[in-house]
Order: sequence, then C-alpha cells, then structure tokens
Amino acid sequence: MPPGRPLDLALLELLLTGLVLAGAEIGLLIDGPLRPIGLLLLFPLVGTIYLATGLLAWRRRPANRVGALLVFGALTYFGAGLANTGSSALIAAGQIVASLPIVIVLHLLLAFPSGRLRTTLARCLTGFGYAIALLLQAPQYLFTESPPPYAPLAVRSDPHLAHLAYLAQTWSGAALVLAIVLVLGRRLRAVPPRSRRLLGPLYAYGIVAILFLPVSAHLFPQPGADTTLLTLQLAALAGAPLVFVPSILLGEFARTAEIEQLGSWLSAERPGAGGLNQALAEALGDRSVQLALWSPGHSGYVDGAGQAVELPGLGARRAAVEIESGGLRLAAIVYDATLIAEPELVRAAGQVVAIALERELLSTELTRSEAALDLARGQVAEAVDRTRRRIGQDLHDGLQSRLVLLALQAGLLGHDELRRGLDTAIDELRALAEGSIPSLLAERGLCSAVDDLVRRLPLPVRLEIDDELPPLAPAVESTAYFVISEAVTNAVKHAGARELRLRISSLGGSLLLEVGDDGIGGSAAPPGAGIRGMTERVELIGGQVRIDSAAGTGTRFVAELPCA
Amino acid sequence: MRVVLAEDEALLRHGLELLLERAGFTVAATAADGPDLVRKARAHRPDLVITDIRMPPGHTDEGLRAARAIRAEHLDGMAVLLLSHHVQITYALELLEPSRGGLGYLLKQRVADVERFTQDLKRICAGGIVIDRTVAEVLATASDRSDDPVHRLTARQRDVLMLVAEGRSNAAIAQRLSITEKSVVAHVSRIYDELALPAHAEDHRRVLAVIRYLSARPERSGGGTTPPETR
Repeated sequence: MPPGRPLDLALLELLLTGLVLAGAEIGLLIDGPLRPIGLLLLFPLVGTIYLATGLLAWRRRPANRVGALLVFGALTYFGAGLANTGSSALIAAGQIVASLPIVIVLHLLLAFPSGRLRTTLARCLTGFGYAIALLLQAPQYLFTESPPPYAPLAVRSDPHLAHLAYLAQTWSGAALVLAIVLVLGRRLRAVPPRSRRLLGPLYAYGIVAILFLPVSAHLFPQPGADTTLLTLQLAALAGAPLVFVPSILLGEFARTAEIEQLGSWLSAERPGAGGLNQALAEALGDRSVQLALWSPGHSGYVDGAGQAVELPGLGARRAAVEIESGGLRLAAIVYDATLIAEPELVRAAGQVVAIALERELLSTELTRSEAALDLARGQVAEAVDRTRRRIGQDLHDGLQSRLVLLALQAGLLGHDELRRGLDTAIDELRALAEGSIPSLLAERGLCSAVDDLVRRLPLPVRLEIDDELPPLAPAVESTAYFVISEAVTNAVKHAGARELRLRISSLGGSLLLEVGDDGIGGSAAPPGAGIRGMTERVELIGGQVRIDSAAGTGTRFVAELPCA
Repeated sequence: MRVVLAEDEALLRHGLELLLERAGFTVAATAADGPDLVRKARAHRPDLVITDIRMPPGHTDEGLRAARAIRAEHLDGMAVLLLSHHVQITYALELLEPSRGGLGYLLKQRVADVERFTQDLKRICAGGIVIDRTVAEVLATASDRSDDPVHRLTARQRDVLMLVAEGRSNAAIAQRLSITEKSVVAHVSRIYDELALPAHAEDHRRVLAVIRYLSARPERSGGGTTPPETR
C-alpha cells in the first residue's frame, strides 16, 4: 500500500473535518459558561495535536496503525472537551467519553511501534482499559450531584455511589497500568539492546504521563480543581504523540514503507548481497533484518558468509517471508515481527529485492563463465605452445636426425646428388622447425632469442631490455617472441624503416613490448595476415596489442602480455 | 687421432663412428649425454671431442656446457667440435671465450659432405677454428646495416671478411674476388686493425674477426652484456 493520491485526499478530508470540529468546539467553549477558558481550550488544542501528528504518521507510514490510533485519540479529546460546553446534549456526550483519552495512551503503549496489538494479553489489557473508561464512568454521570446543565444523564443524585465508581475506576486503572508496566518491561528485555535504548524512554514517558494523572474523573474541571495540575496533566498527555510519532517517522525500527524508495535505489545501484541486506533493513526499519539466499546445492538458506540459516517457525518473535520469482525460490527475509506488523510489507519489499537478486545471480553466473572462458583460453594457449615446442623438438630429434643420417649414408656411399638433395631438404626442415619455435627461444628464453633476432636484422636496432623481468610462462614467452618477430618483419618489409627501437619491460604484472620504426607509417601498410595472427595470439593469452601508425611518424606496436 | 663422440641419437652416433673410423680417427669412447661426455673426456683425454649441443638430460645446450667445462679444465690440445641442427651466433661467442685449442661449430648436416667434413676435422685438430657457413649468411644480411661500430670497414673489406667467415683461404679469396693474394693479406690485416684483434694464431684471428664483427652490437641499454635468463 504505497502512499498515493487517494490516501492523501482521504487524509486531507480527515484533517479538514477534524479542524472544523476543533473550531466548532472552541466556539462552543467560548460561548459556554465555564471558565477559565484557557484551560478549557486545552482539550480541542491537544486533540488537534493528536490529529496533526496522527495524520502525518498515517501519510508517511500508511502500513503503520499508530497514525489511525492517534486520529481516534484526537476524536476522544474533542469528545471529552464537549463536557465543558453549555449544551446538555454535548455535555452528555462529553461525560460518556471523558476517560477515553487516557486509554488512548495505554493503547498506544501496547501497540507501539506497529500500531497493532499482537498478543492476546495486549488485546485483553486494552479492552479492559476501554471497559474501565466507559463502564465505570457511567455511574459517575448517572448519579452525579452536579447542578444542571452538568447532569444531563443523571437518574438520581447519589454522590456515594458515584464516588464508589470513581474509586473503582481509579484502582482498577492503577492495576491496569501496573500490568502494562510489567508487559512493557518484559518486551524491553526481549528486544535487542539497540531497540531497548529507543523503546525504553518512550515506554517510560507514556507510563509517567499516565501515572501523573489522578486517574479519569479528575480531568473534569470541577469547581475548585487545581487548574495548574490539570494543565500539566493535559500537557503530559499531549506530549505522547509528539514523542511517539517522530520515532515512527525517523526511528530506525519503525520505518515500514520505503519500498518505492528501495526500488528506485536498487535500479541505480549494484549493492551486492550485503548491500542489499542493508538497504532492506533500512527500508523496513528493522536493523535485524536478514536476507538469506536460497542455495539449491544445500536445499536450504544461507547467509552472505555461506552459513546455513534456519527460518523461524510460526508465532516466534522473528518471522520470515520467502521470495520467489518465476516459480524459483530465491531468498527469504527474516525480520523482527515485534517491529514489523505486516508480512505483506516485507513480501512487497521482497519482490523489489527479487529483481536485484536475479540481476545479481545473473552477473555472478556471467562472471563465473567469463572466468571459465579465461581459464579455457589460457589452457588453449598453453596447449598450443606445448604443441609448438613438441613439434619443434620432434622435427629436430626425429625427422631431421633421420635426414642427416640418410645424407651421411649417401655421403659415405658417394651419392653426391642425393646428398645435396637431402641437404636442401634438411635446410627447409630447419626453417620449418624454427618457424614453429625458434631453438634459441626454447633453449635460452626470450632475451637470448630477441638478441639473436636483432643481430640478424639488416638495419640498426636500439634494443632495451629491463634488468628485472617477471618470470614468464612458456606460452607468454613464445607469444612475446612472435609479436616482436612479426612487428620487426613488418617494419623491415613494409614500412621502409631505417632504424628500429625495441623495448622489453615490465609494467605492473605485465610484460610490455614496444617496437617502433621511423618508416612511412600511415595506412600505407594495412594490417596483413601477420598482424592479425599476432593480435590473435596475444588475445589468446589475455593480452592486448595497440598499433599507432600515423602517416609520417612511423609505426609503433605496443603489446601488453599478462605474466601471472 | 683419438676422438670422444657424444650424440644421443644412436643411429647417427653409429654413422658418425663409421665416418670417423673411415677417415682414420680412433673413437676412444662414445657418450649419450652431457655429464657422461665430461667424464669420458676426462678419462680418455682425447685429441678431439665431437658433441651434439642438444642432449639429455635437459635437451637444451648440455653439449655446449660440457664443451665449455672441458675447455675450461685446461685440457690443452683438446679440440672441440660442436654439432647442432641450428647454429647460434650466441653459442659461437660463448664457445670462443676461452679461445684455446682447435674449435669447430657446424650444422649436423655438414657431416654428410664427408670429404669437406674430414678436412674441417683436421683443421680443428690442428688448432684451427671452423665456424659453419650459416654464420657467414647472417653476416651477409647484417652487413647492410649502417650502425656497426665496424662500419669503418670498406665494402671490399666486408667482402673479404665474408669469405673469411666461410673459412676460405687467402688464395681462394683472391681468386674469388679477382684480386691478388697479397692485397687479400693487406685487407685482412687492416680488418684486424679495425677490429682491434690481439695478436694470435692466424687461423684464430680470422674467425675472431668474423665473430667480433657479428658480436659488435648497436647501442644497447638496459640489460647489460648478458641478457637475463628467463624461464
């Protein structure tokens, strides 16, 4: 039930109605005979305070019943105030409800903070309170000895009976307050210390405000009553909504309808499971809210740390709402049932959270499959490299040795032509094997191989190699050599370079390769198969290649290869 | 001439044995890996050690390391010939460092040209240096570059040096370049001067000239003279 226009309209009507009632009552009191008028006006004024705070709470926390209870409280003050007017019908009505304002405070105490009476005991105590206020009030106005028009309902004058009823009301009221003190004390012990620090002063204030009253009938401004005391009593009662409502609006445990806010926040943020839990706790106004994720593997709920979470059973102080989406169980929200009255509210918040949870699951899955892909790619690169090295070695050790042996036999037998043919074949085979993996790279590593490559080039090369290079995996080493070899070949063959710069360094956890030339640059040499192959090999091991080739400034290859 | 032969490929080892016996060498012992070669070279003190570079246990450059160990032990007069499926200038440089006694570094396939191979063996045993002609090919490519500290060499001097690298005699070079042998000698000695080669056996100086030329590196900063080992 998110706040909306229809609710706002209804609350506005209630406010206007209440203000009209208060205004009318003020008019009647001023016209009436009783004085001092300042004291009399306190009733409609306190009622207006209840009305305003109640409507505010109702609008801001529509799911919380405290607002409605306060609006009802406002009506009881307006009602009780009528007893001081000059019209006998209104005086009668006022006398009937005279003690209700006090019960409202008791009701508020028992129903705080959700506004609902959750236990049978609380409901009984509240009912008892209303019974005392209404039933034991009756003899007091039926047998009153007050003069007209202040005895409109009197059947006969019997001050003794009326006093008896008054005493009964006073003592049973005292007993009720005692019982409520015990109930609230037990509640305080059950809640977490943080809530206790907040609830304790509120409860204390309510109890003190009530005990401050010389119960019920003394609210009646009888001639000779201590007007100062009465003013203080009413002020204490008027303070109740002023104390309770802010804690509902601002207090951390009673925020109950922030779902829309939660939804818009989640659509902008990626909080992760932990952040989600916190956002949920803030929206629901219950710091103890726990978001338990469904683990299909364990067929149970787990918390953020992977610990199993047992959902509370029925009737426990904590309650749980399960979140499903598309028939799939996603999570459960475990919350404090003494703070949040409405499971529907939690469920609605859960639906908002479900969307974020699904997104979280998808992204986790995506990350996992990306990681798997990276791993597979790395394994492919390693396998390819192992294969290259094995082929290189096999060619040397196997076929090339056999050909050398055959050539030797041909030589020993004097078959010169055959020997020369075999010699050419061996040369070709060597070129093939070197293409697969340069032998110097296999035997001495990257730096030796690059050194040798540079030595064979027909143009000057400025070579820089960092002293401290990270250890290189075989696949990275092969790729690095291949990149340099391709870039250098490109520069020599296509760029018309006169000089090359080559740099091998480490950057963070990466191997950085830079090959620059002073050639023509520009688009004169479009990336050929060699460059494409180079890029593919680099990407296979998770690295990247950048080629800067503006016309006239030469070409610069930069490759970054991950070493870890 | 007594030879210790190291080659892990059994058939090729037998073929080489056969070749050596027919060329009049005595094969004192054979080895199939680096440590075995060092042991047998110590035990037999042959005139010549012939070894494959890539051998067990590591299949990288065991033969080269064994050869360097043997030469470092002051086994005077023990010539070494390295055989490999590929020729690395880097290895040639390392081998030449303690340049004492005969030295050879050839592609394996050169053994098939029995006559020339036998000549090479004899030159090595006589204290000469024989480097495979692929090195000369590298020289041919690299001679285009203009940054060499040895760029002071004239075109003619470089031509002479390339032929030197191929192991040709002064007479052969003279014939090839259609100049007199006397002017070849003059070119060669000027090359020695330019490369600042120390006085040495003539054969050594010829090869050293080639190697020096190849090892003369363009500006190189960072890693110092020895490239850091990587795994």
